[in-house]
Order: sequence, then C-alpha cells, then structure tokens
Amino acid sequence: MTLEEKKLQVVEDFSMYDEWLDKYEYLIEQGKNLEPFPEESKTEDKLIKGCQSRVWLDCEMKDGKLWFKADSDAIITKGIISLLIDVYSGRTPQEIANDDFAFLDQIGLKENLSPTRAGGLASMVETIKAKAAEAAAEPKAEAEAEAEVLSAADVKELAPLYENVVLALKQVYDPEIPVNIYDLGLIYEININKEHRAYIKMTFTAPNCPMADMVISEAKTSVEDVPGITGCDIDLVFEPAWSQDMMTDEAKVTLGFDVDLDDSQA
Amino acid sequence: MTIEQLRGQFPILGEKVYGRPLVYLDNAATSQRPLSVVEKWEQITLKSNANLHRAVHKLAADATAEYEGARQAAADFIGAGDAHEIVFTSGATAAINLVAFCFGEAFIKAGDKIIVSEEEHHSNIVPWQMMAQRKGAVLKVLPVDDNGQLRVDMLDDMLSDGKVRLLSVAHISNVLGIVNPVEEIIAKCHKYGCAVLVDGAQGIVHQKVDVTAMGCDFYAFSGHKLYAAPGTGVLYAKKEWLDAFPPYMGGGEMIETVRWTGTTFAKAPHKFEAGTQNISGTPTLVPAFEIATRMREQSIDSEAVAVKDFVYEALKGNPLVRLFGCPDRPEDKIPLFSFCVDGVHHEDLALILDKMGFAVRSGQMCAEPLMDRFGVTGMLRASFAPYNTMEEAQMFINALDKAVKMLR
Repeated sequence: MTLEEKKLQVVEDFSMYDEWLDKYEYLIEQGKNLEPFPEESKTEDKLIKGCQSRVWLDCEMKDGKLWFKADSDAIITKGIISLLIDVYSGRTPQEIANDDFAFLDQIGLKENLSPTRAGGLASMVETIKAKAAEAAAEPKAEAEAEAEVLSAADVKELAPLYENVVLALKQVYDPEIPVNIYDLGLIYEININKEHRAYIKMTFTAPNCPMADMVISEAKTSVEDVPGITGCDIDLVFEPAWSQDMMTDEAKVTLGFDVDLDDSQA
Repeated sequence: MTIEQLRGQFPILGEKVYGRPLVYLDNAATSQRPLSVVEKWEQITLKSNANLHRAVHKLAADATAEYEGARQAAADFIGAGDAHEIVFTSGATAAINLVAFCFGEAFIKAGDKIIVSEEEHHSNIVPWQMMAQRKGAVLKVLPVDDNGQLRVDMLDDMLSDGKVRLLSVAHISNVLGIVNPVEEIIAKCHKYGCAVLVDGAQGIVHQKVDVTAMGCDFYAFSGHKLYAAPGTGVLYAKKEWLDAFPPYMGGGEMIETVRWTGTTFAKAPHKFEAGTQNISGTPTLVPAFEIATRMREQSIDSEAVAVKDFVYEALKGNPLVRLFGCPDRPEDKIPLFSFCVDGVHHEDLALILDKMGFAVRSGQMCAEPLMDRFGVTGMLRASFAPYNTMEEAQMFINALDKAVKMLR
C-alpha cells in the first residue's frame, strides 16, 4: 500500500467512530498491536522530549527504507505512536521527509488531544521527520563504507554483471513516461560488490512522484532477477535534482525534445 | 447563600465540553471567576482606566483609589496590621522571587543556609536555588514522611547550627493537600533566628489566614487561585523586612527622585512595584475576597466538607488507588486529591476523563522532587472548590471507575 493509500485508510477507519471515547478505544487497540520494544533499548537517547508520558522511538534503515519501533508507558500515547509507525514504517526517508502529516488533522488527533498531549504528538512527528532527514543524508556514507578494493580479476568478473544490471533497469518504466528509467537518466550510480550485491542510487523526475514506490520495487525485482546478482538495495536521492539533460539522446527523441546533434556526433 | 446561588455567580460552571456538562476539578491550578470579579475588571477598564499615583486627573484618582483600596482589603483579609506590608505582584511566583532576591542581597553570605521542604512547588524551589548559587549559600531540604506529612521533628536538628537564615514552606502543598503546621514551624525557626516565608498559593484558598497570629515573616499568594483576575498577587512582608530590603526591579513608580548622580527610592510597598501595575486586575481582589469569605459560611462550608469526606473515603477505599497525602488528622486534609491507579497511566486517565467532561490535572504538578520522593513519573489530581457539588463528586468517582475499567 502506498503512503497515500495508507493515510486514506486510516482516515476512513477513524471516520467510523463518532464518539471520542470510541476513538480512544480504537487507539488503545492499536497500541496493543505494537511489537514489543526491548526493555534494554529504552535508553535516554531514544526518549522523545516534550511528552507528558514517556515515549521511546528507534529506527533502522533496511533496503533504503526506514523501519520504526516504539513504546510508551501510557496506552493512548502508545496507540498514537503505533498509528504513526503503521503509516510511516517501511517508507523511504524522502517520502517521510516530504510528507505534511496533514492526515493527523483530518482524523482530529491534533485538535482533540489535550494541550500537553498535542505537544507530545508534535514531538513524535518532529522526531520521525528528523530521523528521516538523518537517514536521507546517510546512504552516501553507507555506500562509501561498503566500497572495497577490487582486483583486476574481480573487475573482469563483475563487468558483464554491470551490463546485465543496466539491461535489467532498462526493462523498468515509469508508467506515465514511455522511456525506461535508465535512459531517462534516473539511475545515478550502480555499484556491485564482491558478493555480487548491487547498490543503486536513483532519483525521480520530481520528489513527489506518486508512482515512486512501485517503480523502485519493480527495479529492485528486475535487478535481483539478473543471474549472478545476489541482492539489490536502492537508495532514492534527490541531490542532484534530475533535469532533462540527464536523458539519453534516444530518450530525448522519443519524448520530442531537441537534440544537440553536434554534441551527439562528438 | 445556597450552593446553587454560589454556582450562579460562576457562569462557566454551566458550560458543556464535548456536549457533556463540565465538571471542573482543576481548581488548584486556577479557580474560576465569579461575575463580581469580571464586573470589577470591566468597571475599571470601561469607567476609570488610568495609570496610577502620578496624574492629577479624575480617572487617575479613581483608579488609584481602587488599587490602594485593594491593598487595604488584602491587609484586612489576611490580618496584616498595616496596608504598607502588602506588596502587589503578578502572582505567588513573583512574590517569592522578590523575597529570594531582596533577602539574598541584604542578608545572605557564603556558607549561610536556606531550608525548603520536599513537597514544594517549583516556584518555591528554583528562586532559592538561584539565590543560593548567587550568594554561595546552601539549600537544605526538609523531608516529608510516607504519608506526605512534613518531618517537623527533624527541624530542630537542621536549625541548631544557627546558620539557617530563612525557611520557605507551603501552607498547603499543591500535590498532597495537607495543611502544614506552619505555626509550629515558625515558632521553631524564630527560636534560631531564622525567618519564614509561607507559600500560601493553596493555603489562602482553603484556610482562614491571619498572618499576625501565624507570625510568619512573609506570606505569598496568587489572585487567580482565589477567584480574582490572573496576573494578580500579594506579598505580605513584615514592615521591618521591607524597610531593610534593597529595591528589586528598577523603573517608574518605585522612585522618589532620579538624577544622573543617583536615585532615591520610594518607601515600601511602592519601592517594590516598579512599572505600570495591573490597574484593572488587582482591584478584582476585593470582590474575590468577598466571595471567598462567603464560601466559608456554614451553608456552603458544610457541603464542601461533605464532598471532601465522600471523595477522600471513596479513593481510600479503592484498592487500585494509591493516594498521596493522608494526614494523621483528617481535618488537615483539604479537598485536593493526588493519586495513581495501579496499572493505569495518569495521562491516559486524564484524557479519558476529559472526554467525559471532567477537567483534572495529570503529570508532575510542578513538583518533580516530590514525584521522585514517591517514585512515580506523575500523578492524577482532582482539586475541588466550594462550588463543586456532591453530585459532581459522585459523578467523578463513577467516571473514574469507568475510565479505569476501559484502560486496564
């Protein structure tokens, strides 16, 4: 389910309850669904400041997506943080960082909670956003850490894999654009390590692309299907921003853009 | 006066929240305002608004008369011998800060000691910490026992070295709701030459205060907890202290003459009232004192005592409730109840009760050290005023049961 779909679903779920007490019952149920948070992880650095009750939040990055874990000593707060996690866990840092969290207003969470609790909700949202922003900045460092020294033999072995990974990426289309994501210039970097795991850094033509989730998962599947590739991680980046110059000439022709012939002949 | 007539004076009590009748049980945080207070504020604002003391025109004379009239009324209300012993402040916090600063500047040197109790509101802790740090003094803490009673028995030992210059203690704790034996504390302190400030933020609401009989050096309270306009407050200080104090804030009104070569200051209490005062707010203390006095009439007071006894017994009888502040003598308890419910977070309870129409307080109640003392992260507090009825008390106990069932 995409982020937008998920948010819609939550708004719908909440609209079933007219009475606020019923909404609280629903939140309490949500809280009970939270997966357990290990006691030893409830450290000061994971505590969210600004809540009357204590809320711990932790997150990890896996396959370019953020996965959250949380707990609280108050059960309604636990329900709220569980709701946030349900919506935002498994999204890319960019998606979260760019989200306006407006659905919280739509379900009346912000306006109906007590002043201190509303403050707590704001702190929770701020913390989730901050973690996303932090994670969005991190992939670079992670990729660098993964970098390794390759021997000539390694390169010889890896070279055909690169060609095949490019071919695999060329199979993937943004459904609204009749040019594959590779020729469109969305792929910024391809790295394959000694274990034959592919690391791809890609972008979209615009940060709020509604199909991003689908395209990323298709690209991942397509690359993982390449014989010899053991796995694929995709990082979504928006720095540098995509521009038309990044398209191949072929793509420009397909999309009806002017092609600088001198340049292409050189 | 009947309780219905009394409630009629407080229109907000007829309000609804989330479509349910409001039951306001957060009176220890701030009380509601009667019409008489609103009308006084309106009358001054609409008919005699002018700055005080200086101007010769009619409005200024009227406004000054209202303001100084409130000073006399405050002196009468708390039994001060002289209206010059009444300093108007923005509230109890400002009053305590004034004493902490001025007393510190005039009388505290490195190595001196100050005592506060373990049950104090942050407003009666932090100003003394700041002063102690500035002057190199030491802050000592008078503990409470497991029932929330002050360990007055430890006081002689703490005072015996003769280094304690001042003790500051709540008349009634805003968490425990126990009337402290302030006369006994004051007698002990004075024996050792230690001055006493009584924080009367809660005490003034629930006790008939006579500062002369009590013998305290300072008594501080806020108007807003006693039905007056917010931003009003009173510091009572014995005249000899006020005369010995240096000025606190500099500004207009607190001076006699100002020259580039130096300034001479007005006499107390004006020396401590720099800048434009709360022209429309402070005179609302007068109708506030009137209604507070009427609430002590037999017809109202007997209901208030019945309400207190009912809630006290109901909470004590609930095996899930851990009630903080249970004095040996039940008459020392005021209708202020802070408690935890086994297995339920105080904030969850407050949220559910809110949706049921009850305004209660949850959290640390500005008394973090006391929360640590009892090993809790917070409590739930229901604080009653004489305008709360027995019916409301019963509704509260029922709603509490319902909320606990929902959350456990």
